[in-house]
Amino acid sequence: MAQNFMAYPDLRHPFAETPIHADGSTSVLYQGNTIVLEETGPGDGLLIRPEDLPRINGFELKPEGACYADMCIPLGDDVLIEKEGGNWFDLAAFADLLGQPYVVDTDLNVWSFAEIPAKRDSMMVDAMAPDFEVEDRSGKVIRMADFKGKKALIVTWSSW
Amino acid sequence: MDVPVWQRLYEEINDPDFALICVAEDTGGEAVAGPIFDAANPTYVQVIDTDHIISSAFNFVNVPSAAWIDEDGRIVRIDEGTYSKLHEFGEGDEAISFGTDVYSPAVKDWVAKGADSEHVKTASDVTADIRQHTADQQKADAAFRLGNFFRAHGKSDEAERYWQLAQQLNPDSVNFIRQNLTLSEEGSAGETFRTMMAKYVSEGRDYYRPLDID
Repeated sequence: MAQNFMAYPDLRHPFAETPIHADGSTSVLYQGNTIVLEETGPGDGLLIRPEDLPRINGFELKPEGACYADMCIPLGDDVLIEKEGGNWFDLAAFADLLGQPYVVDTDLNVWSFAEIPAKRDSMMVDAMAPDFEVEDRSGKVIRMADFKGKKALIVTWSSW
Repeated sequence: MDVPVWQRLYEEINDPDFALICVAEDTGGEAVAGPIFDAANPTYVQVIDTDHIISSAFNFVNVPSAAWIDEDGRIVRIDEGTYSKLHEFGEGDEAISFGTDVYSPAVKDWVAKGADSEHVKTASDVTADIRQHTADQQKADAAFRLGNFFRAHGKSDEAERYWQLAQQLNPDSVNFIRQNLTLSEEGSAGETFRTMMAKYVSEGRDYYRPLDID
C-alpha cells in the first residue's frame, strides 16, 4: 500500500518521562479512569480501603454485597478481608469473582482492569449497545445512555 | 480521510434526532488526531479515544468500524469496514482505491426509515455479527491500556512490553498491531503491515468483515 496517504506526524517519542505516582502509592486503571491509591494493604491481591471502592468502579458496599445499579454481588471473606490495620477489600479477588481480567505491573504498582463482563452481557444476548464512558474533545463525558431517543452512528478512525 | 466526508453526511442528514459520534483510536491523542478533526470543521461529536475504549466496548479489531444504534439503545448494524466513500489515489499502474460508495446512502436510508430500512438487522443477526471477545482478548484490552499508561509517562520499555502482550493475547486486533507500529521507523503502513495483510489474505481471513450492502 502506498505511503503517501498514510502520512502521520512523527510522534514516535512524544512523551517526556514523568513520575507515575508518589512512592508507596498504587495506580489503578479502571473503566478509562486512573485512580491513585495512597494506601493499600499488605500481601497478595490488591487490598484497598472499602471506602475507595466507589471512586474506582462505582460499586458500593451494602449488607447484601457490592452493588452497582440493580446488580449486587454477594461477597465472602476472600474479598472482604480483616488484617492488621483494619478492613480491606481485595479488588483482584473481586475481579476474579466477576470473571474480569486484569494485568498488573508489580514493579511499578500499576493495575489495569478490563471491563466488567456482566456489564456487557446484554450486548451479546440481545444486541443492546454496551455502556461506555469517554470524554469528547471539549472534555464533556459521553455515555451511550446520552443518545437514548436518537439514532446514533458510532464510527472509528485513526491517524495511523 | 473520512473525517470530512462524515461531516458532509452529517450535514446532509441534518436531523436533530441523529447523532454521529466520530472516534479517533489514537494513543497520540490531540497532537495527532486533533488537527485532522479541526480541518473538517466538524459539528458531530468528536472523541479522541487514547485507550481504544470504544473498540473494546463494541469488540472492534480494526478501523474504520461502526455501529448503528437505534432510539432504544439497540444495535441494528455492527462491525464492517466502514468507509464513508470510495477513495481513489494515483493514476495508471499506480492507482489504488479503497472504501465504498454504498455505506453513506445506507446510513441515510436508515435515518429516514428507521426500522423499516432494509439495512436494519434483527437482534439475532446483529448478535451473530458481533465478534466474540474472549477472556484473553479482554485481558489484552487491560494490557494495552497499561502499556498506554506507561507510554504517556515516558516509560517506553514498559509500554512496549504491555503492548506486545496485548498483541499476543488478541492477535486479531489490527488496531493493536498498527498502533504499536506507529512507534517504529517503518510506521503503520510499512513492511510489517504489508506482511500482516498478506498473511490475513493467505489464511482466508477478511481484513474487514465484508460489507453486505448492495
